[in-house]
Amino acid sequence: MKRSYVGVLILAAILLMNIVFTQLVVHQYYYENYGVTLLYAGLNILLFPVALFVYKNEKNKGGSKGYEK
Amino acid sequence: MSDRNNKIPFDEDNYTHNINRNNERMLDRRGFMKTLAGAAGVFAVSTLPWGAVAAKELMGLGNKEYPNEKIADVKDVKVGDSVKFTFPTEHDSAILIRLSENKYVAYQNACTHLRCPVYWVKDEKEMICPCHHGKFDASTGAPTAGPPRRPLPGIEVEVKDGAIYAVRVKRYEA
Ligand code: FES
Repeated sequence: MKRSYVGVLILAAILLMNIVFTQLVVHQYYYENYGVTLLYAGLNILLFPVALFVYKNEKNKGGSKGYEK
Repeated sequence: MSDRNNKIPFDEDNYTHNINRNNERMLDRRGFMKTLAGAAGVFAVSTLPWGAVAAKELMGLGNKEYPNEKIADVKDVKVGDSVKFTFPTEHDSAILIRLSENKYVAYQNACTHLRCPVYWVKDEKEMICPCHHGKFDASTGAPTAGPPRRPLPGIEVEVKDGAIYAVRVKRYEA
């Protein structure tokens, strides 16, 4: 019956990194560091499959009726 | 997991549990995680254009050259005055300031905060953005107060035959 919040926490952390990377992309773009811009944009895109992976793995864990799985 | 609150308490006439909400406002753990994953997707897509433009910029690397553009005649700009112009295209507004007899500085004057036009306040010897009171140092373009964090992009100027020309946009020193 115990809830599992690991997935929620990981996904929240991913979203935080998304926000940080997006901000860095925009700033580095205007600073004309185009290589760094690409790097952060790439990281931001990579976070999406990671998020999907975490979601797929965690969606059936825990819950108020975990024994029903 | 959702019918916990939908049980009719006892078997008499049911006056209290007769609204069927169909769980329309439910956000459970799984739905919340789905939202988060979706948000990650939105972020991924929204950085694509920035990456694309950056890549394009990397390909055509180096200082782009634009034809020199005449800004004004020297005799029309007194010391401490400023002139508005556009460089390198007509959509990039810019400002030229004559700081002293032989010192001219020019910047693209879209504020580095949210792109309001920055203007030169002669009495205070400062460039000021009216939108959120950002201030910039006139001799370097560096932000000195308010929200902007990034210096204004400088424009190289040249004086030839009594006229002032814009030569190129300076790159930020890495
Ligand atoms: S736009 Fe210039 S300070 Fe906000």
